[in-house]
Amino acid sequence: MSMEQFSLMFSGWRWQDLLDIVFNAYILFRLYVLFRGTNVLRVLLAVVAMWIIGRTANAMGLVITNWVMQGVITVATFIIIIVFRNEISGVVRTRSLGFFLWEIPRTQVNTPVHIISDAVVKLAAAKIGALIVMPLKTGVDSIVSSGADINASLSREMLVNIFWPGAPLHDGAAVIQRGKITRAGTILPLSQNRHLASKYGTRHRAALGLTEQSDALVIVVSEERGRISLVKDNRIHEVRNPGEVETLIKQYTGGPEPVRKMRRQTRELIVAAMVCLLCTAGLWLSFSRGMETLANYDVPIEFIKPEKKMNIIYASASRSRLLISGARPLINALSPDQMSIKISLDGTSVGKNQLAITRKNVQLPPGIRLKNIEPDQVELTLDTMAEKQVPVQADFSGKLPDGLTMTRIQVVPETVNIIGGELSLDSLTTVFTEKIPLEELTTSGLVNVALVMSPATLRPDDKHKKVQVRYTISERSPDDDIQG
Amino acid sequence: MSAEEPDMPDFNISKFSFLFFRLLIVCQLAGVLFIPASVCLADQPRMVLANAVVCEHISSFRPVNPAVVFSVSLGEVFCFSEFDPVYEKTAIFHNWYKKDKLIFSMRLVLSVPKWSSFSRVQMRDADKGPWRVEIRDEDNTILKTLRFSMSD
Repeated sequence: MSMEQFSLMFSGWRWQDLLDIVFNAYILFRLYVLFRGTNVLRVLLAVVAMWIIGRTANAMGLVITNWVMQGVITVATFIIIIVFRNEISGVVRTRSLGFFLWEIPRTQVNTPVHIISDAVVKLAAAKIGALIVMPLKTGVDSIVSSGADINASLSREMLVNIFWPGAPLHDGAAVIQRGKITRAGTILPLSQNRHLASKYGTRHRAALGLTEQSDALVIVVSEERGRISLVKDNRIHEVRNPGEVETLIKQYTGGPEPVRKMRRQTRELIVAAMVCLLCTAGLWLSFSRGMETLANYDVPIEFIKPEKKMNIIYASASRSRLLISGARPLINALSPDQMSIKISLDGTSVGKNQLAITRKNVQLPPGIRLKNIEPDQVELTLDTMAEKQVPVQADFSGKLPDGLTMTRIQVVPETVNIIGGELSLDSLTTVFTEKIPLEELTTSGLVNVALVMSPATLRPDDKHKKVQVRYTISERSPDDDIQG
Repeated sequence: MSAEEPDMPDFNISKFSFLFFRLLIVCQLAGVLFIPASVCLADQPRMVLANAVVCEHISSFRPVNPAVVFSVSLGEVFCFSEFDPVYEKTAIFHNWYKKDKLIFSMRLVLSVPKWSSFSRVQMRDADKGPWRVEIRDEDNTILKTLRFSMSD
């Protein structure tokens, strides 16, 4: 790609385009954060890989490979939903709104584990029951919300104090996050597991209940036996040697080197964010800059009326042809209702008006550019509603029977009130009836006939949609003459 | 003389006022008789339309077979108008309209004391439909509108 092509690719960028890319990259990044560490993400990556293979196969003309990949992707979409329904629902159910939108969960890398292990050992030695929750990636905010917010600095004494028998918060669990005791006295959801050994009491059942719904580590100190258990991922690990507690906690929560672990996590998230940004930018470029195409569309012209009284009685064009350009995928995805031509009738007057169709009148979706408008002028004849009293004249068709002549005619009423456009009414001097067939008229009489409106936009007064025509028919005489 | 002198001016005054009143009466009479007549002359029309018809033809300056529906097979139709009286020499117009379109206009001169005049339009098969003739004076005031139809 030459420099010219490269600069062309990035020319004409709008702030909306940047916002578009950043916003969608963020959505992609949030999806990654949400499903990070679960099997769903791996399968999704596999689907993306298959899609790339399918597209490559299509470009190379490998018909069957492309066909198979398309089939597999379609099936995989259903498989993901069915096989991973529990994981997906777990993610949706256990995460708070903040987690969906902006939170980035970290493993317990900042927590001084030795303080916790010291406190746990001391509590076990004194046979004081304790329940300590250490949330990891998924967080527990949406599961545990009871108890008291304490947000206290973590210390051995503080922990022992919380669980000291008789203390107000000793019955519930304490939550430790980022080196702080954030909450105490919280009630955990109990596990419904029927196969739990009878030696375990309510504390263990509560610890299991929480780990069934999150990836948190729960430390349990039993009151009766003074035994320490670590509960994670729905499994209870009893600690036989109190000296192992610190090592085990570190093992479960993220290893012995917290700073390096933290850096690794940050690096991973930055890389993920960059990949999301690149993917979205690539997708955007392929949509908006790839394969510039020209297309013609006939778009209806909409006239915006400032005055309700004003009527359009003639328009030289009801549609205009737009020559537009844009990326082929955008042009292909374009539907006529996404484009519109709106012309305001502000400043127009009764009679003929010449209106120009400019770029300002044309609305196009983002990424589509306007090249030409044809026609770029429209002539409008506007009119206002008015009334006029007009004489009525009978209209006849056919031929009177031989030897008869119609000597007199009277229309009742002689004039009618016509409602319509002022311009049309100006030129209207007479309104005519429907054709009355002459063949059937042999004697004097009367007939009720409707009025014919020309132009059709005119209408007679409601009372006078029909008029009465009284006629006199007499024998015709060749010498018949009349004295004045 | 001295006794008569005072009477002299009285005599002269009464004689002068008698003449003055007589002049006034003459002027009033002239005003009553002539001024309204001149006003009436200004308002009075120059002619009175006595009769107007559309007919098949004219014979001996009279309309023949006046009607409101005519067959195009006649080939022509006449508009006859009769003015009685005609106060001064003037002119009228016969304006022929097919539907609302002016087809033909004819100026006809009228002479005192009465006058009849007519205009004629040839009709073809394409002329079927409603027609009207407007009889207008020189001030373009419509004196009468005659409506008729041309049929098969």
